[in-house]
Order: sequence, then C-alpha cells, then structure tokens
Amino acid sequence: MIQEGTMSEVRLEVKNLCKSFGITKAVKNVSFNINKGEVHALIGENGSGKSTLTNMLTGIYSIDSGIFVLDGEEIHPKNQVDANNHGVSIIVQELGTLSGLTVAENIFLGHEERFVKCGIKNTKQMIKEANELLHSYGFDRIKAQRMIDDYNFEDRKLVEIVKATYFDPKIVVIDETTTALSQEGRNELYKVMDKIREKGNTIIFISHDLQEILDRSDTITILRDGVYIDTVKSKDVSEEDLKRLMVGREVTGDYYRSDYGSKVSDEVVLSAKDVSVPGLLNKLDFELHKGEILGFGGLSESGMHEVGKAIFGASYDRTGSVKLSDGTEINDIPTAIQHSIAYTSKDRDNESVVLNQSIMDNICLPSLDELADKRHMLSDKKLRDFADKFAKDMSVKMVNVDQFVSDLSGGNKQKVVLARWIGKDSDIVVLDSPTRGIDIKVKQDIYQLMDRMRKSGKSIIMISEELMELIGMCDRIIIMKDGMINGQIERSETLDENNLITMMV
Amino acid sequence: MDQRKIEGSLRGYLILLLLVVLSWGIFKILTPHNFGSFNNMLSYFQASLIASVGAVGFYFVMVMGMFDFSIGANIMLSAIVGCVFATKLGLGYAGLIIGALLCGCLVGLFNGSFYVKLHIPSMIVTTGLALIYEAVANYIAGGVEQTLSADLRMFGQMPGDIILALVAFIVAYVFLNYTKIGTYTYAIGSNEFVAKNMGINVNKYKVLAFILSGGFLGIMAVLTISYGSSMVAVTGMASMSRNFIPTMGCFFGVAFKKYGIPLQAIIIGEFIINIIFFGFIALGAPTAIQDVITGFALLIIITVTTKINKGEIVK
Repeated sequence: MIQEGTMSEVRLEVKNLCKSFGITKAVKNVSFNINKGEVHALIGENGSGKSTLTNMLTGIYSIDSGIFVLDGEEIHPKNQVDANNHGVSIIVQELGTLSGLTVAENIFLGHEERFVKCGIKNTKQMIKEANELLHSYGFDRIKAQRMIDDYNFEDRKLVEIVKATYFDPKIVVIDETTTALSQEGRNELYKVMDKIREKGNTIIFISHDLQEILDRSDTITILRDGVYIDTVKSKDVSEEDLKRLMVGREVTGDYYRSDYGSKVSDEVVLSAKDVSVPGLLNKLDFELHKGEILGFGGLSESGMHEVGKAIFGASYDRTGSVKLSDGTEINDIPTAIQHSIAYTSKDRDNESVVLNQSIMDNICLPSLDELADKRHMLSDKKLRDFADKFAKDMSVKMVNVDQFVSDLSGGNKQKVVLARWIGKDSDIVVLDSPTRGIDIKVKQDIYQLMDRMRKSGKSIIMISEELMELIGMCDRIIIMKDGMINGQIERSETLDENNLITMMV
Repeated sequence: MDQRKIEGSLRGYLILLLLVVLSWGIFKILTPHNFGSFNNMLSYFQASLIASVGAVGFYFVMVMGMFDFSIGANIMLSAIVGCVFATKLGLGYAGLIIGALLCGCLVGLFNGSFYVKLHIPSMIVTTGLALIYEAVANYIAGGVEQTLSADLRMFGQMPGDIILALVAFIVAYVFLNYTKIGTYTYAIGSNEFVAKNMGINVNKYKVLAFILSGGFLGIMAVLTISYGSSMVAVTGMASMSRNFIPTMGCFFGVAFKKYGIPLQAIIIGEFIINIIFFGFIALGAPTAIQDVITGFALLIIITVTTKINKGEIVK
C-alpha cells in the first residue's frame, strides 16, 4: 500500500496553463498540484477543459502558455512518445489503437528502438515480450502476434491499457475510458489503477460518473469553462457537492423520471419479430408502445448494441421483421428515416458525426429534403437558422454553427447528434449509450428531453450499460444475454441494480 | 506464427494459384497450340518480374494512402540516366544500376518533398512532376532513342533478371516486415493522426516511402531497358501508359494484405496479368478488344479477391 507520506509529495505542478482554439479559450490560467501515489480526479462539464489540459500534458496539444513541472523539472512533451519518455502516458476516450498492425506492434508503437539492431526489427522478440506483458496483466486471451483488427472495441481498450502502463509511468491519464467498457472491463482497469497507485505512481482520472469518481479517487479537481474552481478530498465531499461545484449552482429539479405506476399506451408503434443477426442476435421478439421508453441492458457483448442497428435497418444479414404500426417493414436506413425513426450510435466519432464537417452540416444532414425549396435548392440562411435553433436548444458549446465538429468535446458532439434528430422531429428514437462521456448537467438535460418526448407521444428505445439510468428512465427494461432476451422488468420504485445484474450474468 | 495467420496466408496462396490456373486454362482452351507451354509460362513469368519490382516499391506509397502518377516517367527517366551512365560515361553495369537507382530515388525524393511541402494531394503533385520528368528525360536523351549495348544486357535475360528481381523482393520484404519503416507504413495508412501522436514523424516517413518506391522503380527501369534494349523519351504524358501494370500489381498487394502476403500477391498478380496479356496476343485479338477484356478481367479479379467486410467503407 502507498504510504500517507508519499501522497503528500507533489508529483506534478500545473502552473498558469492556457490554451485557445481560435477564439475559444479552452483552458484559462489553470494552476494546481497533483501528488505522488494518488488517484487525482479531474471533473467538469463537457467543454470545461479537462481533456484539453491532459492532452497538453501528454503532448497531443501544444501549450499556449504556462508550464507543467514534473518532479521538480519543467516538461514540454512534443507528442505522446515524448510524454512517455518523461513518464506520462494516456488512455484516450475513443479508440487509440491502429488497424493493420499486430497487437505487439500497437503496444510498442513509437518504442521499437530496443528491438531494432542495425535497422532490422526483431519481430520475434517483440511478440514474446508483448505476450509476457499481456500475461502479466491477466489478458492471456489477447495474443500479441494477432492483428489488432481481430479484437473487439473492449479488448482493444485493454491493449491500450497495457500500452499506456507497462513501462511504469509516473503519471497515467485515464480519460473517460470507463464508460467505453463493460463492468468486466472496468474491473480490469480498476485493478490496473490499484497497482499503479500501490507503486507510488499517480493517476489522473477523468470520468463523468460522479459515484465512480468518489469511489475511486483520493483527490478531485474541478474545472468549469476552462477555469480552475477547487481541489477537494474525495472523503470530504458528496455527489451533490461535486454537482454544485461543476455547474456553479445547485442542480435542481428531477434528474431521472419521478413518475411511477403511470400506464403506458397499448398502441404498438413498432414490433420486432424473430430478429436475428448472425453471431450477434438470436430470434428477438419485442414491441415498442407509443410514449414508451423501452430500455435494453446487458453486458457489453450481450448483443444489445446490435438491437439499435437492427431496428434502424443498419445491421447486415439481419433476418426477421421490424414492422411499424402501418405495416411498413424497416429493412434499410432510408426507409427508417423516411418513417420517422432516428438512431444514435455508441461509436459517436465513427458512426454518428461527420467529424470534418461543420455543426450546421451535421445537424441539417437528414433534414435536407424538408429544408430544400420546391426547386430543390438549399438556402444557406435557412440551414443556418435551423442548425442554430437546435444547437442552442441542446446548449452546444460552440463559437457558431460553422465550427467543425472535430473541434468539439465528446459531450458536445453527442449534443450535436441529438440536435440533429430533434430537428428531424422523429417519432421513434433509438438511443445507444446516449449519455456516454456526457457531464451531469447535460445528462439531466437529456433525461428531461427524453421525458418530454415520451410525454408528447414519442417512443424511445434506450440502450445503455449504465444500469441506473435504465432504472431511472425506462418504462420497461429488456436484459440481453448471448444475443437473446434473458428477462424483462417493468418500471418500479423498488427496482435496483441487483435485479438487473442477476439477469445479465 | 499462429494457426489463424497460417490459415489466412494459405487461403491467400490458394486463391492466387486458382487464378493462375484459371487464366491459363481459359487461354489454353481457346488457343491450345501457341499458348501456355512450360517455356511460354516461364517467359511470361520473366516478363512479369519487371513490373513486380516496381510494384513492390509502389506498395509502400499506396498503403500510406498516397498515389503516384509519375511511375512511368520515373521508369523512363531512370532507364535513360542508367543507360547514359553505362554507355556514354563508360561506367558499365555499375553505372547502369547506380545511375538508375539514384535517379529513381531522386525522383521519389522530389515527389515526396513536393507533396509534403505543398500540402496538395499526391495524385496532383505527381501528375505535375511527371510532365517535368518527361521533359528532363527528353533533354538528357537529346531527343534520340537510348540503346543499351548487347554486352550490358545481362539483366534482360535469365538468370540475371531473376537474380536482380529476387534481390529487390528480399529487400522489400525486409523493409516491410523487419524495419520500423514497414510498421510505420501501416500505422500511417491506418490513422495518420494517431501515428503522429505516437511520435512518428509522418512527413519524414511519407518522403521515405516515395524514395523507396522510386528506388524500386529505378531497378525496374534497369530490367525494362535491359529486356527491351532501348528507351525512347516520350513527352505529353505518354509515359502514363507505363503506370498501368505496376499499379495493377500493387492493387493485388493491397487486396491480399489481409492474408498477410502482400508482396507475394504482387508477384503472382503481375504473373496473372501477363498470362492474360500474352493470352490475347496468342489469340490475335485486336488491341482495343484486348484492353476492354483485360480491364474487365482485372476488375473482376480484384472484386472477387478483395473480400470486404460487410459495412466496411471503400474509397
């Protein structure tokens, strides 16, 4: 275990740090200290500057002004490998491994030198060492010689964990990684975090799950709109205190839905029958009612994420039928959109937003037919007004709608996705992990938005690995296991996570 | 090597073998007497080695997501420079190889540097530069056909051509599998931004890929002029016709990358292309018909062999 004395020694000093993107000031004169041997959480709303700060520390972004002092020495990492050489590493929010390379090549990417003699790389030795590392982490199922493309998102995240921690870095940044992992994956990560801490090294932990922050961290620094707010000891604060510090005022009003026992309409708006996707879903039958929020939960690989795609006509080789109340069969995406179905994917960067396009383009994309005039011409003003309205409705933090989506934080990208479908006024909305990487305030906004949509007769399918939000928001929860429905639970005040976990495992 | 990889490469080899047998079989049935004997096949293979050498070099550029329209101009210029070094400067074989190799690398350096510095697509940069290379070749040749004397044509016949090509393939294989360049080639092709964050000097490795490609095209130029005995410096983008065969071979490499045998696929792919070419010649088919059918045949082969995963985006 780490000694109390070690924990009071300063490892990293952040001094007067500033960073701007164009006219947006992302980090404003931030200063605070991080100690040795602690899990130091960094919290704040989306766009508060957490990721920008850690990206500067790990060399992904350059520093405008200010300095980082690591163990008394000023550092200016030029890139991730340079940061690694200073003893700093990062596990990023989205996928950080490279296709086309083996697991071993990914683990040692940028650090191949020690395997190279006279310009020739000793691939055999590299694979051997990578396999030993994977074994030491307990990830024996991952083979170093296999292509990284052979593994799923979660296993690739585990490879990233090995890559970021195998060389005993002094500081490991874990940037909103846990929300991308299932419970098993999270447990693996927690074990690694414990080991790092026990060795006297430091973790900078970014997460929007405040309970997780309180459970896992020793110290918490709060940022708001790029400004340093406070540093507190986890044992001295409650979740409510953190919410207040993050938002700058009391977070009032309902978080989840507060109604219980209200009857859901009998009117079926969508029915799925014998829906199967090879290797992912097996003969799924369910109905979605008007004004209902239907939840899908389970372990990450249970097949629940494929349900959203299957309904939206985005699954390949899907069999069975997805039918609307008027008899329309949904077999492809254009038909789904035409019949007022919306879908947001879990994989936001690759499947939901067009990164190198503006916020305006992203919001208007599925609504262009409605926005065009009789001659099929598009008016820039009309598009701008449309995008501006819905971006503002969703409180997207932006300079204007011309800003590229790639410049936005993870949570703000999600707001753009939601603004797109609200603008489309879809009747059936399929939300896969809608609050992944989203801060407490926006989460509340999304929950309230879902509640309003439900009350106005819209139907929602909510797929989530967050059991509490399923319990808090859904009229009915379907639990998936091995591609099949393993149980179904109705909304109730007495429902807790244990009821769902029993069905999941 | 694990079981899965072995199965993957075996499968790749089987598909390639099947394509060789299929293309040979079709023409053997159509024209049994003047096509496809053992000796014929050996000479088709010999001819295919020339383009294979250029294609394995070009593979580094293509995998990084770039393109090169100056392949033909590079071959032409390097062949003329090699020939001038060997004959006019009297440097013999050393002049031929070093001249062509250096010229090819230099052209690659120009391609890479202009592409990196100008920040415009590689396709446009290399198209523009191809015009300049053609003009330079024409100037060096003085508008006259450059002929390699008979005593300097060892690499135009067996075993010289096979030895030179084999050396080139081994060098390419080592670069791709046993050096950082190979790993970084795939890393940059996969995600340039992440590669940059891993400390990889992306621009440096892009320029290096062009230089490597140029070097292999220089060796291809040696084989080309040795095989054909002379080279005419054409202008007005006429050198573009030389782009086709190495590029097609490279497509085979990209298509078979997932089986772990890209370089082997390039060599066998070029052989298949040559079987089809010589098959048409044996049939006496008009050039236009040959081009149409060859084009279609290659599209079909690449479509069938490139098993894209469902939903995978192809650009």
